[in-house]
Amino acid sequence: MEMFNYYLKLSLRNLTKHRLFFSLMIASLAVGVGVFVANIAIIKSMANDPLPHKSDKVFNVSLNIWTNDNPNAKLLHIMRYDDAMHLLNNEIATHTMVHYQSQVYTRAVDSKSLSRVQAIVRATTPGFFPLTDAPFAFGGAWQNDRAQQVVISDSLNKQLFNGINSVGKHIDVDGKPLEIVGVLAPWQLKPKFYQAAREPFTPTDDIFAPLETAMDNEWSVRVQNMSTELIKTVSDSRGKNAFFLQAFTQLDTPEQKMEMQNYLDNYSDLRKEAGEYLRANDNRLLDVNQWLEFNKVVDEQMLAFGLASSLFLAVCIFNASSLLLARYHSARFESGLRRAVGARVKDLFYQGLVESTLIGAMCAVLALVFSWVFLQLSISLFPALENTSDIDIGLIVIAISIALISSFLSMVYPLLSSCRQSLSTVLK
Amino acid sequence: MLKMNNISRIYRSDTIQTHALRDFSLEVKAGEFVAVTGPSGSGKSTFLNVAGLLDGFDQGSYELDGVNIQGLNDDQLSKLRNEKIGFIFQNYNLIPDFNLFDNIDMPLRYRGFDAKERKRRITHALEQVGLASRADYLPSQLSGGQQQRVAIARALAGEPKILLADEPTGNLDSLMARQVMELLHKLNEQGSTIIMVTHDPDQARSISRNVQVIDGQITDHSIYAPTNEAIEVSA
Ligand SMILES: Nc1ncnc2c1ncn2[C@@H]1O[C@H](COP(=O)(O)OP(=O)(O)OP(=O)(O)O)[C@@H](O)[C@H]1O
Ligand SMILES: [Mg+2]
Repeated sequence: MEMFNYYLKLSLRNLTKHRLFFSLMIASLAVGVGVFVANIAIIKSMANDPLPHKSDKVFNVSLNIWTNDNPNAKLLHIMRYDDAMHLLNNEIATHTMVHYQSQVYTRAVDSKSLSRVQAIVRATTPGFFPLTDAPFAFGGAWQNDRAQQVVISDSLNKQLFNGINSVGKHIDVDGKPLEIVGVLAPWQLKPKFYQAAREPFTPTDDIFAPLETAMDNEWSVRVQNMSTELIKTVSDSRGKNAFFLQAFTQLDTPEQKMEMQNYLDNYSDLRKEAGEYLRANDNRLLDVNQWLEFNKVVDEQMLAFGLASSLFLAVCIFNASSLLLARYHSARFESGLRRAVGARVKDLFYQGLVESTLIGAMCAVLALVFSWVFLQLSISLFPALENTSDIDIGLIVIAISIALISSFLSMVYPLLSSCRQSLSTVLK
Repeated sequence: MLKMNNISRIYRSDTIQTHALRDFSLEVKAGEFVAVTGPSGSGKSTFLNVAGLLDGFDQGSYELDGVNIQGLNDDQLSKLRNEKIGFIFQNYNLIPDFNLFDNIDMPLRYRGFDAKERKRRITHALEQVGLASRADYLPSQLSGGQQQRVAIARALAGEPKILLADEPTGNLDSLMARQVMELLHKLNEQGSTIIMVTHDPDQARSISRNVQVIDGQITDHSIYAPTNEAIEVSA
């Protein structure tokens, strides 16, 4: 402990004596660490598990029911209204939900202002809430698929109602009032696994509306959709070959999963017998992480950029190391003297370790500032990155460790080389 | 105390080999004061560096205070340097931005003494060299002779078995040189073993035992040869 204090004192003296040099070195190291950490932040949240406690129990249902033998045989992740109803009506799963995305303009019914705000709608079924663990601040979910009721997000509630408990109030969509029965607490799935196929890092949906209500009100489908016959309106797609609903199901046990798989295959067989379905069965239950991977949610370009940033970090360490080499070279008199009076190489190493920890700590602080700046910069350049990443405790720990390791790595060679020179030459 | 047998030390560079020490043998007993003289480049400093474990050697054997140096690792060598040897350099080698106290403190830190023991030793060492009142001066605030006395205090504070001094008065004028010599004589009388390299024949004469190094070898174990050295110095 006494030695530690001594080393600390020596290091502080050294750092203050060569302020300019060390600020330069710390800054250059911090840029490298900052860029690297910003990248980790993005990749980490892209690769984040949105439902860590049950991501292996929640599955995307890909039915691959396609009515002709279109050679584009990619796994089909959207299904028809009728398929969805069958799926919802079987009692195998713990929770099942289907959904599509829409967009409306809305306002609070009793607001003095007539201006409307744009709102993203999730038209879905009651299973959505327990399946995604959506947290409620006020009220709860609607229970009836045809109810003229909605759940709204925290941010829409703030926008329209200043964040008060708006349960019981109404919002207006296309002249129709819809009753608010629930308001979500602040909530963000990262990524929004249920729309992994497209823009999974957008903010939480604004309005959660019952599927039938949304369709009855002709709220348009704003996601990938296909059809093999003419569909005039959204409500018209019931009973037609219009593919637009995505389905997710929570299967808590392996038995449930097996049962569900059998159910889907039977369903396909029945459809085939009815002459609808021409391809071999390919019904898949991909769990949340498999589903995210299938949709390549972690951008490959981002991974390449991550690799580049780790090389950049290596260059920064190398640079800091060569700066330090010069520093140690001009301090070789003192280190030589210390050894001449009895310091072991070990002692100098410990001293260097304390110093590099100190440098690493300062570097970490600066690197966090830098990585925050880089994140803001990347977001302003690539708005799609918004909501991917923020600096959380885990990331701070990562930043600190990388800064410490970098600082330590940059010290090792200069220190060893300064210990290797002969004492008699240094002290001549 | 110190026993060297047939030591050789060869400096190798890409083009040349310099035999700085060859078949160098010397024994120094506890309590002796030895003056080492010889022409420039003859190997005196090399000998002292080997003796002080600041430099290795290629052949021969070296025993210091009963410990055979051969094959010791860095930890063991550092311990010997720290506990048994006090080295005094021609150019003092004080750390300029440490005050006297911290300069003398340095070797004691690596010895693991507690703060109280370190303070006792530093104060005592400074008293021995007559600078007790200046513990918080910086080296630059002292004269050359005083700085060398600080360096001697640093060497003394560890209570070493042997003091090795390489031309300790080489940078000092004659008055200050005399003060330093008086200090070394006093320390010797108090029991310190001292080996000192010098170019000054008067100094050498004042010292009980003289050895002369020529071409990396001891040539004269007993008496100092004033004429040679006088020429060497004035040259
Ligand atoms: N680091 C070194 N590399 C190569 N040769 C060296 C080195 N140090 C000393 N020498 C050579 O070894 C020989 C002995 O040098 P040394 O310094 O021991 O002489 P010295 O007796 O102390 O001389 P002086 O009285 O000038 O101090 C010289 O020829 C010198 O050139
Ligand atoms: Mg010399």
